[in-house]
Amino acid sequence: MSRGAGEESAGPRWRMPGLDHETQPGSDPAEPGPEERIAARRRRIAARLDAQRRQALGEIEEPKEEAEEEGEERSSHKQVEESRQKLAKLLFEGTRMVTDIQVAADLRETQRRAEQAQLKLQRVEKLENEARSSADKFEEITSKWALAKKMTVPQELWQLLNQQQQLCTQLLEEKNKLIGELQQELKNKDEQYVQTIKKQSDDIHLLLERMEEQIRMMLKTYRHNVHQKAFELERRELLDNNRKKWEEAIQALNTKELEYLHARVKKVEEFEKQLNQLRVQYEEEYNSMKIHLETDVQNLERQLQHMKAVYLVNQEKLEYNLQVLKKQDEENTIIRSQQKRKLNRLHSLLSNLRTKLVKQEKQFREENQSLAADCERITGQCKEVQRRMRHFAASDAEKFMKVWLMNEEEAKGLMRKALDADRIIHTQQLGLPWEEPHYWFLNNIGPFGHYKAKRMATKLAAEVLTESTSGAQEKKEEKEEVGSGEGQKENTAKAGDTATPLQNISRKTAKRILELVSDESGFLIERKLLGPLCALGKHERTLLRLDSIFSALEIDSEDDLYQLVDFFLKYKAKEGDLSQSQGSPGGEDIADLGEDRTDGESSAQSDELKSSQRPLDSLLSVCIHADDVLKILKAFVQDFHKLREEDSSAKEVLQVRDSSKDGEYWEALAHVIPEPTLKLWDALAVALEEYYNILTRRANLLAEAAVLQQQNSELSLMLEQFITSGVNSMLLSPPVHQMDLNLPCPEEPR
Amino acid sequence: MPQAAGGRGRAIPSLRPSQSRFMADSYCVHRIIEDPEWCLIAVPPLTELCLQHIVQNFTNNPVLDRLPPEDQRKVLARLPTGLPLTVTANLISDEDYWKRCCTDRWQVCDISNHGGSWKRMFFERHLENILKCFVPNTTDPDQVLELIPLCRGYVRKLEVDQFLPPVKEDQKEERDDLSDSGSDLEFGEVCIHHYDLRALVPALPLLEELHLTYGVKECGMNFEWNLFKFTYQDCCNLAAAVKMCHNLKIFKLTRSNVDDDKTRLLVRNLLDHPSLVELDLSHNLIGDKGARAVSKLINCSKLEILHLCNNQISNEGAQALAQALAKNCTLTSLNLRLNHVEDEGGEAVGHALLTNTTLKSLHLGGNRLAEPTALVFSQVLTQNSTLTCINFSCNPIGPDGGKQLLEGLRCNQILTEFDLRLAEVDEESEYLISQMLWANRDAARLQPLLQQPAEPL
Repeated sequence: MSRGAGEESAGPRWRMPGLDHETQPGSDPAEPGPEERIAARRRRIAARLDAQRRQALGEIEEPKEEAEEEGEERSSHKQVEESRQKLAKLLFEGTRMVTDIQVAADLRETQRRAEQAQLKLQRVEKLENEARSSADKFEEITSKWALAKKMTVPQELWQLLNQQQQLCTQLLEEKNKLIGELQQELKNKDEQYVQTIKKQSDDIHLLLERMEEQIRMMLKTYRHNVHQKAFELERRELLDNNRKKWEEAIQALNTKELEYLHARVKKVEEFEKQLNQLRVQYEEEYNSMKIHLETDVQNLERQLQHMKAVYLVNQEKLEYNLQVLKKQDEENTIIRSQQKRKLNRLHSLLSNLRTKLVKQEKQFREENQSLAADCERITGQCKEVQRRMRHFAASDAEKFMKVWLMNEEEAKGLMRKALDADRIIHTQQLGLPWEEPHYWFLNNIGPFGHYKAKRMATKLAAEVLTESTSGAQEKKEEKEEVGSGEGQKENTAKAGDTATPLQNISRKTAKRILELVSDESGFLIERKLLGPLCALGKHERTLLRLDSIFSALEIDSEDDLYQLVDFFLKYKAKEGDLSQSQGSPGGEDIADLGEDRTDGESSAQSDELKSSQRPLDSLLSVCIHADDVLKILKAFVQDFHKLREEDSSAKEVLQVRDSSKDGEYWEALAHVIPEPTLKLWDALAVALEEYYNILTRRANLLAEAAVLQQQNSELSLMLEQFITSGVNSMLLSPPVHQMDLNLPCPEEPR
Repeated sequence: MPQAAGGRGRAIPSLRPSQSRFMADSYCVHRIIEDPEWCLIAVPPLTELCLQHIVQNFTNNPVLDRLPPEDQRKVLARLPTGLPLTVTANLISDEDYWKRCCTDRWQVCDISNHGGSWKRMFFERHLENILKCFVPNTTDPDQVLELIPLCRGYVRKLEVDQFLPPVKEDQKEERDDLSDSGSDLEFGEVCIHHYDLRALVPALPLLEELHLTYGVKECGMNFEWNLFKFTYQDCCNLAAAVKMCHNLKIFKLTRSNVDDDKTRLLVRNLLDHPSLVELDLSHNLIGDKGARAVSKLINCSKLEILHLCNNQISNEGAQALAQALAKNCTLTSLNLRLNHVEDEGGEAVGHALLTNTTLKSLHLGGNRLAEPTALVFSQVLTQNSTLTCINFSCNPIGPDGGKQLLEGLRCNQILTEFDLRLAEVDEESEYLISQMLWANRDAARLQPLLQQPAEPL
């Protein structure tokens, strides 16, 4: 509301300049009627009074509303409403009063315009009328001019001209009058304009006055309204309330403070009492303590005296002691210096010794190092020597073999020669029938003491499998016995060792084991072989299988096979034992078994085996299960290499041969021709010697004869030449004639 | 020695002032230490000196943005207001500085007229002053053009109530000679166009309000009609300029002798203007044709407020306006004060208001309206529910018309202002009307109060 009113009031104010301007240029003849103005003024005054009254009541609105909020539902509400209305009305009236001027001016302007229009119309009419009348007169004049031309009498003409002149002047006068009127009107208008301008300025002044007045009034009323009675009352009430509250609070505070004060005083008194009590108590305590302490002091003084006496005695004693100690000290210093010297000496000694020790240590370390190096070198040399020795042994053996063979061949050649000679002697010289002697050594080739070539494992297996009679076995054994003879202990032991299992093991079990192996370890066979295998018979198939399996397991020799079989048996035995005792078979046992086997001495082993195998044999055929074969084989392969290395080292040493029979052999070879024949040969030799001598003599004679013959032939030749040559002819007696006679003589012996 | 020292010690307090004076005299103020009146405040800090220097040389080397805020404030407080605008315009945005500029230059400064910004006020008034004093063909047009880049970011409103005509010495003499004979017509032929706003207005992108009056103020006894002549060329220029100004919201061209042709020209250029809201053509010479043109504009723009007061619109023009008003849905305020609308026009407007639902304020004061119009308006008051303010002052409505209006008002609860002063209405009905208006006002006041608590719910 108030805002709207403000705008309203502002509107006219802005419009005012426009109004001013608009009224400025035009003249303002028509003022509003005086009654009207009076009425307006009265109204204004009434309005002003009204407004004042209203102002007293209304329109605080905004400040009031704030108060409203604070003062809840009180009389102020009503007050606010009332004053708001009053103020609104006041404002409305005020703006109305201000705009009244504008409205009045507007009305004046409209009236002026209306009057102006009317006047304009009148003026136009008047002018038109005037123009018409003047035109009439003008026509009259002009018509008279024509008449004048016709005039001939000068007096008449003069009269006419005079008339004309009069008319003209009349016309001019009328016109001038009109002009004068119009100018008068203009002047009036100007005056009116000035008046309106004055009026306008008055109006503006009035307007300003009113505006200012209104502003003042509004301010006043607003201010007044703010301090309304209701508010005052309310305020006073509030103030009273607050003051009451305040006083109450202050009273409460005072009483409380009093209480506190009292309490404090009481407390202070109490504390004072307590303090007094405590003071008395402490005084008593203090007195008793003092007495006690004084007695103590006396005692202590007494003691002090006593102690002083003791102290004196002690002092003397101590002085004496001091002196003694001083002397001792002196002695000690002497001793100490001595000791120090000694200590220094010993220190130097110690350092010397240390350096020596260090040196020696270094030396020994070096020595040790050199010795270690030497040792290494020597062991290397030793090994080298051993290798060489082995090599030499082998080469020696080879050489020996070769030499042997060569010698034997030579010997045999000689022998054969001798025999041939004998035969020739017998047959040709003596003419006796000759019989070829038969000796054991005749057919021998190569040195003795060779081991029989070890049968191949497969062969043995084949033998075993074929269940050939034990003849082969025995034969083999014989051979072995022959081969080994009285070899070294180890050799025999080894042989025994290898031999024993098969001996001990029944053929059946061996066969069974081998069959099992061939059946179970088919994976070791090359795949290519499997095809052809099917075509073969059962026996051959197992053989071939075994062959390939052995090659896979690197079992080459008889011994290996024995070991394998033996291993099987042992394993079984162990397992059997374990299952009986503990019931825990496994790889460990097998490993143990292997270790035992490798570690243990052969004899002990064999004993063990023998002892264990007896009961086993029966079991074996039954117990070896197909599933265990693989395990056993695995264990075997693990151990096998160790075994083989040992064996190989052992075997090399075995190669020392036995040469006892060689002499015999060679002796026998030498005595291939018996004594009687030799004797015969001696006799024959003597006889033949003689025969030879004769023959040689004869030969010599023959040679002489031949020489002579040759000489003869030569002489004849020379003769011939003489004869044939020219000299001869010249010669009176050519020698040719003489020579002719000699010529045939040399030819005869030929 | 100790004795001497003691003696000295005792002597020192009494001696000091004289001593210092003595020292100052003898050693030419070399010993600051011994001057008891000296203190550090007398020595200005270096920053202070720098700032002083900056202030002194601000024209040549305006350093402001790089300073810390405190120093900026100090510098701004010390800058003289007479600095060239080329330096300050786009650099300084501090309101205090511009306040100083404004208050130094003008005695009365109403900042509320300029959007509460001192800087804006300064530039607007500066530009206005230049335009007011601009004499075509004598003043250098660069004076305005140079200012454009400086003020284009700040000027939103231009209120120029004076445009000087071109002046030539010989013409002046001639005029003096011929003034008495009143041969104004000869003068009219000589071109006396005012400043061409086309160069300025489109270059101000923020311009929203343009208040113009083609006339001379305080001409005194030198009055001539020529001074107030708004030529057709001027109108063309103005219309083109306004058309270019797309942000213009309020355009006022008052007291400028705008006749029908010029109105039509202006309206033609204002048709479909994107933002024009208020048009004020009051105190001109607009007749019916012009009114017809304006009525066309009403429905071809966003116009909300239209002032046509103190023109020469008669019933035909009013009828045209009424026709437009009947269809319109944007106009909220129409002012036809001091025209010659008369009953025919008034009735037409009343009939239009039966269908219109947007107009809130209508001013028909001083239009020689009589009882027939009152009859129509009593019907309007019963039916219309948007009109809040009607002004019928200075119309010879008469007591019967007053009664009719009173009857109509009985059914109305919207109208809050109804001016019937000097309308020859009898006091009884006037009183009753005012009573009813008060009731309506209370209702209107209570409505927002009632609505407000309803809103949060």
